[in-house]
Amino acid sequence: MPDTVFELFKNLGAWLTSGEQWSGADGIAHRLAEHLQYSLLATLIAAVIGLPLGLLIGHTGRGAFVAINLASFGRALPTVGLVVLVFLASGLSMWPVYIALVALAVPAIVTNTYAGMTAVDPDVKDAARGQGMRAHQVLFQVELPLALPLIMTGLRLALIQVVATATIAAYVSFGGLGRYVFDGLAQRDLVQVLGGAVLVALVAVVLDLALSGLQRALFRHRPA
Amino acid sequence: MNRRALLGGLFAAASVPALSACSSGITSLQGEGTVGAGPGSSKDGITIGTANFTENQVLGYLYAAVLEAAGVKTTVRPNLGTREILIPALKGGDIDLLPEYQGALLHYVAPKSKATEEGEMQNALTVALPAGLQVLPYGMAEDSDAFVVTRETAEKYGLTSLADLTKQNGKLVIGAAAEVKTREVGAVGLKDVYGIEFKEFKSLDSSGPLVKGALKKGDVDVANLFTTDTDIQANGWVVLTDPKNLIPGQHVVPLIADRKADAPVRKALAKLGNVLTTKDLTELNRQVDKDKKDPEDVANAYAKRHGLTK
Amino acid sequence: MTIDWSWIADHTDDLTTLSVSHLQAALSAVFLGLLISLPLAVIAHRIRPLRGFLLGLSNVLFTIPSIAIFVLLLPVSGLTRTTTVIGLTIYTLVVLLRNTVEGLDSVPAKTKEAAKAMGTRPLRTLLTVELPLALPVIMAGVRIATVMSISLVSVATYIGDGGLGQLFTDGFQRNFPTPVIAGVVLTLLLALVADALLVALQYVLTPWTRKRGA
Repeated sequence: MPDTVFELFKNLGAWLTSGEQWSGADGIAHRLAEHLQYSLLATLIAAVIGLPLGLLIGHTGRGAFVAINLASFGRALPTVGLVVLVFLASGLSMWPVYIALVALAVPAIVTNTYAGMTAVDPDVKDAARGQGMRAHQVLFQVELPLALPLIMTGLRLALIQVVATATIAAYVSFGGLGRYVFDGLAQRDLVQVLGGAVLVALVAVVLDLALSGLQRALFRHRPA
Repeated sequence: MNRRALLGGLFAAASVPALSACSSGITSLQGEGTVGAGPGSSKDGITIGTANFTENQVLGYLYAAVLEAAGVKTTVRPNLGTREILIPALKGGDIDLLPEYQGALLHYVAPKSKATEEGEMQNALTVALPAGLQVLPYGMAEDSDAFVVTRETAEKYGLTSLADLTKQNGKLVIGAAAEVKTREVGAVGLKDVYGIEFKEFKSLDSSGPLVKGALKKGDVDVANLFTTDTDIQANGWVVLTDPKNLIPGQHVVPLIADRKADAPVRKALAKLGNVLTTKDLTELNRQVDKDKKDPEDVANAYAKRHGLTK
Repeated sequence: MTIDWSWIADHTDDLTTLSVSHLQAALSAVFLGLLISLPLAVIAHRIRPLRGFLLGLSNVLFTIPSIAIFVLLLPVSGLTRTTTVIGLTIYTLVVLLRNTVEGLDSVPAKTKEAAKAMGTRPLRTLLTVELPLALPVIMAGVRIATVMSISLVSVATYIGDGGLGQLFTDGFQRNFPTPVIAGVVLTLLLALVADALLVALQYVLTPWTRKRGA
C-alpha cells in the first residue's frame, strides 16, 4: 500500500508539471478557467440574491424563522438530485449547474448575513436613530459595517462549497476541473482523479485566502 | 491481515446499524490482490455487478432470473460504473459475475490481440484473462459499438464509413463516454487504425441522454452509441461502416470468478445465451428506456415467457 | 415534468430499502466522525499548537470534492459500503471537530478549577464536567453533520452505492423525472426527521439547559 501511495503522488507530480497536460481544450489551464467561471459566477448570483435577503430579514427582524430553516433545507438538498432534475427539465444546458450551485450558496449567505445583522447591539442602533439617522442610514452606516465580518464568513463558506461542488458540471457534459475526476473514474485513472481533486482544493484555498485578505482590507476602512 | 482487511473490519464493526440493505462492507474483508477471493462456491450466492447503462442492467437481471431458477441465490448491484471499475471489483471479490461483451473485454485484457472471429476471441480471452476469472460460452445476442452521425452531417461531408472521417481530420468533434477516449475500440483505435484525428473529444455517457442530446443539438458531430439503441433508427442516424474491422464482434458473454462457475451456473447461463437474440435484447432495452419499466421486471417477464423460469 | 404516481405506488418497497440504506450510511459516518473527533478535539483543546493544524486539516479535507474522495478510496476499500462511509466520515470532521473544540472552549475555567479543587482527576473532569457542558455546542455540530451527510450520501451513486442517489442516476439515464423527484423529497424528509430526533435527543441529554429556556 505505501508503495502505491508513493507511486500515485509521484505520478501526480508528473501529471501536474507536464506541459502537454496544461494546454488544449482538456488542458489544466482551460479547465481551471472554466471552473473559476462556474464558481465565481454562481457565487456572485447567490450573493446578489442572498445579501439583500439576509439584510432585509436582519434589519426588519421579520422572517427569521425562514432564514434559519433555509440553512437547514439548503444543507439537506442533494446536489446530484437537483442537477439531474434541472437537466431533465431543461435539457443539455448550463442551467442544471448554475441552479444547483446557486441553491447551495444562497442559504450560507442569507443565514450568515442575518446572523451578522442580529449580532449588532440594539443599543448602538437606538443611539444611531437617536442622533436622527434615517432607517437606510442606520442600515448602511451602522448595521452593515458591524455585520460585515459574519457576512464575509458566509460568502467565504459559500464560495468554498461552490468550488468543491462545481465538479458536478462534468457529470452533465461540461468542463471545469471535475472533468478530471469524472473521466478519471470512468478510465480508472487515479492520478487524474487525484490531480483534479488537488487542483479543486487548491482553488478553494486560494480563493478563501483572497477573500479573507479582502475582508481585512475592508476592516481597515471600517468607520469606527 | 492486510491494510484493506483491517480498514474493512474496523468500519464494518463500527457501522452500528448494520442493516446492510444494498451493499455491505463484508466483501471488503476478503482482501485485495488475491483474484476472486470472495467466499465459497455458487452455493453461497452470486453477486452480479452491472455497468452504468440500461442494457447491462437488463442482462444482469436476466442472469439473476435464470440463476435463481437454477437454485442459486443472487444479488444484483446495478449501475456500478465502467469496465475499468468493474473488473478490478471482480478481481477483488466485491462482485462475482458480470455481463460482458466479447470484443470489448478482449481489448481490455489484451489490447494487442488481433482476434476478430468469435471462436478466436473466446480462446484469446481464456488465455488473457487474469487467473481466477473466466468467460462462459458466449450468447447469440450481440451489441456492438457504433460510430454514428446525423443524416445532415453524413450528407454534408459525404460520410458513409469511418475511413471517410479522415478527410475531415481536425474539424469534427466526437462525443462518447469518457473511457472511450483511452480505449482501443474508441479514440485510440480510430487514430491508430484509420488515422482519424478529431478536433475535440467530448466526455459524455454510454449511449445515454448526454451523448444523444449532444448529437441532436449538434454539439458533437460523431457519437459513440450502441447498436442495440433504438434511438439510432428512430432518429434516422447513420452508422458509419467499419471496413478495417476496428470494432470487434460484441457477443454478450458472462465473465465470472472461477469458484462460482460450477455446473448449474454454466448450464443456466448457457441456456439463456442460446435463447436471447439481439432483437430481443434491443426490445428489452426499449421497454426500460422508453416505457420506463424496471430492468428487473422486464428481465423476469422475458425469462418466464421463454420458459427459462417457471 | 409530471410525476408518475403509479411508479411510486409500485416502488414503495424499493424506496423504503433505499431510504434505510441511505440513512445507515449517513448515520454510520456521523457516529464514526464523532468517535474520531472527540479525542482529536480534546487534543486540539489542550495542546494549542496542534489546534490550528487539526482544524486547518479538516478544513482542507472539506475542500476536496466528495466524488474524488470516493474514487480515490476504491483501491483501499473497493466498491463497497465501507468506501461510502469512510468518504462521508471525512466530511463530517470539519463540523464535528470544530464544534467539539468550541464546545470544550466554552466551559468556564472556574468550573474546571472547582472540579480540580475538589480533587477530581483530569479524565473524570473531562467526562463528567467538560463534555456534558460542551454538549449543546457538540450537538449543534452533530445536527449539521447529520443533515450534511444525508445530503451527501447520494454522491456515492457514482461508485454504485449512494442509497436514494441511485434514483438520480437511474432517472438521469432514462430521462425519467419521477424517481429523481422521489429521491430528492425522501432525502429532504430523512434530513428533517433526523434533525428533529436529534433536537429531541439533545433535550433529553441536557436537562440543565431547559430552565434557561434554551
